Amino acid sequence: MDKRSFKSRYQLACNRKSFLGLTRESALKGLFGGNAFVSIVVLGLITLFLFKEGAGFFGQYRDSLLLYRQSGLEYVELMRGQQNALSALTRYLNSIRSRQVEKLAEEGYDFQESRAITEESEDFFYDFEDLAVPLREHVIEANEILSAARDSYQEMQNLSEHRKSLLESGRQDEADALEIREIDFALFFDIVKSRESEYIEINENLIRGIEEILPSVPYFGDAELQAKTERFKELAEMFIEEVSKFEENVLAWERARSVPISEAFTSFIFGKKWVTNSSIQDWYGLIPLMSGSFLVALVAMFFAVPLGIGAAIYVNQVARSLERDLIKPYIEFISAIPSVVIGFFGIAVFGTLIREVSGWESLAWIDFFPISERLNAFTAGGLLALMAIPTIFTLAEDALNNVPLSYKEASMAMGSTRLQTILRIIVPTALSGIISAVLLGFGRVIGETMVVLLCAGNRIEIPRFAEGIGVVFEPVHTMTGIIAQELGEVVHGSMHYRALFMVGLVLFLISLLINYFAQKIVMKFQISRG
Amino acid sequence: MSLVSLRLQKEIKMDTPAVDSQRVDRNRPLIRISDFDFSYGDKQALFDINMDIAEHKVTAFIGPSGCGKSTLLRCLNRMNDLIESARINRGKVEVNGVDIYDERVDATELRKRIGMVFQKSNPFPKSIYENVIYGLRIQGIKKKSQLDETVERCLKGAALWEEVKDRLDTSGLSLSGGQQQRLCIARAMAVGPEVLLMDEPCSALDPVATAKIEELIHELKNDYTIVIVTHNMQQAARVSDQTAFFYMGNLIEMNATDQIFMSPDKEQTEAYISGRFG
Repeated sequence: MDKRSFKSRYQLACNRKSFLGLTRESALKGLFGGNAFVSIVVLGLITLFLFKEGAGFFGQYRDSLLLYRQSGLEYVELMRGQQNALSALTRYLNSIRSRQVEKLAEEGYDFQESRAITEESEDFFYDFEDLAVPLREHVIEANEILSAARDSYQEMQNLSEHRKSLLESGRQDEADALEIREIDFALFFDIVKSRESEYIEINENLIRGIEEILPSVPYFGDAELQAKTERFKELAEMFIEEVSKFEENVLAWERARSVPISEAFTSFIFGKKWVTNSSIQDWYGLIPLMSGSFLVALVAMFFAVPLGIGAAIYVNQVARSLERDLIKPYIEFISAIPSVVIGFFGIAVFGTLIREVSGWESLAWIDFFPISERLNAFTAGGLLALMAIPTIFTLAEDALNNVPLSYKEASMAMGSTRLQTILRIIVPTALSGIISAVLLGFGRVIGETMVVLLCAGNRIEIPRFAEGIGVVFEPVHTMTGIIAQELGEVVHGSMHYRALFMVGLVLFLISLLINYFAQKIVMKFQISRG
Repeated sequence: MSLVSLRLQKEIKMDTPAVDSQRVDRNRPLIRISDFDFSYGDKQALFDINMDIAEHKVTAFIGPSGCGKSTLLRCLNRMNDLIESARINRGKVEVNGVDIYDERVDATELRKRIGMVFQKSNPFPKSIYENVIYGLRIQGIKKKSQLDETVERCLKGAALWEEVKDRLDTSGLSLSGGQQQRLCIARAMAVGPEVLLMDEPCSALDPVATAKIEELIHELKNDYTIVIVTHNMQQAARVSDQTAFFYMGNLIEMNATDQIFMSPDKEQTEAYISGRFG
């Protein structure tokens, strides 16, 4: 005790204040370390949650595909494919007819006169349409039988679920009262299969019918219509050839084939259809959404990359300090605009503006103008560019700023102009930083939701890339948009619900990859400086 | 290119000693600075500088930090144009009788004539070969034979050829500090300047590398007019023919180097040289 009251300098050092066994330093360390820990844990939880919710999807999807096959609906779908090809042909013929009527009206014929003129083509049209009837009826009948079987199967499934829950809650009597039948798909399918000879006969008649009728295609004096009818003939002959292929597929189809889990996986990743709440079969294919997302992102990057990098070069290398102080905060302010406001602007102003501009006579030479949809990939992409510009600008400007001033001086001292210095020294030196800025901008665009949901048009179909550059004016749906749109309305735990989680997981992986590569490139950039 | 810069170019070419070395008066000033006031924003950096820099001599600028010697050096090839707030208040700088701050003079053309080597070696992150020919590339010269010839000539001129001839395609940044600085000198020579401005070229180098650069300066004197800024007074004494002493933005004294170091006219100069301040 006595010794302790003697305060030496040595003792003072041991007397640090502590609270709950923590000194101030360790408390601070704990605080900041805790913050870092919490963010890592949250990230981990999000990943886990996504995986957990998404993981059940493939099993469910496989079951669904298996049901689709076992019930024989897949078989009907094959025949329906043929039917659809035939109706496409009919539609084409119809478009020729309506064009003819249109032309006659333009030339000043009245209704009666044009009726008389079109009589011949009219007859041909009806004859052709009649050819399609037997096939259509065959498909409808087969579909009715098989979907009735599928529906009662699902009903029985529900009943047995119900029974299980009754048994669990101990209500034996009620459970026993439920009448549960076994549905044997084979019985129903055999009925349909037994009528296969009819199908073959229908096809024979169809081919014969088309071949008979084809020489009597009406003749139009008009060059445009004549070209179209020639095209129609070609298409009809192509269809005749295809019939045997359709038939082959239908006959070769086997009900007993099982569905491996990999098939569920590939039909999700490479599936070309996203159809929900269908009476026949739900399809969860990623391609329409992914291609939509990337199309929108490409449009956005097309604008954002040159603008963002150009602005960064200007601000960093050319602008006077007064300009820099003005421009920089302005561009960075764009990222503070809520995305829903930008989407609002897109619907109210930008989309309408684009459609109006596309209607200008002076732009009529562009073959996909005027556009029909106000909300399309271009509208969304243009607005997303606005959101990517601040990201690209800020990061690219940082990269340019990291180029040592001495490089610029050395280049200028050798008599190069400012432009030469920028293009030959500054930009190449900062290139990897600029590339990673672009990548991160791309990540920002791919992950953006509100603007695409409001402005992309939300049509779930693969954009027709074959049409060339005009594809950007098609309405599309995106991975982010579909989650935002559908997740609120699906049944918790259903296949649809899990499919949306899988889409989320894919998005997560994409942005993870983008960030990873951006980091890699930045690291390479730092090393090359060495 | 403006008329004046054409004239400037022509005059410099006509007076190039390689063409007609017999006739040239070796003491005639190539650069004349008269009544020169210069400021960064509100802060005046140079006061009333008057100075002649002779052709084919080495001129050293000495003085304590912040005395304006580097600023004046950068005024000679208009590198201060890059600084937004830089302003000339009075006076002019003439090269061969042409005022280089005349608005008709093309600064890039001027800088091709007056090359510069910086305090910190700053090769570009490109190959050694590309570093040397950068000045030719920006002039649009693509002929391989001419580029090869220039690389060899300039690297030999900068006493670097033997060390790097086998690895011309490696990065300029892979060289040692002294080699990098000589690469920068070679790079400046490739453009074909008449004047080389050196801003403390040895301050970041070890004594061996410094000795090599100093030796190089001696040799370069035959072909170039050299202006060197240095903190190292022994270096100024070793390499220069004439020396200018600056203090607080003023030119205190300028004279032949021997004169300055043996018997300076001004007391301040003597105090600085003998190490009593600065």
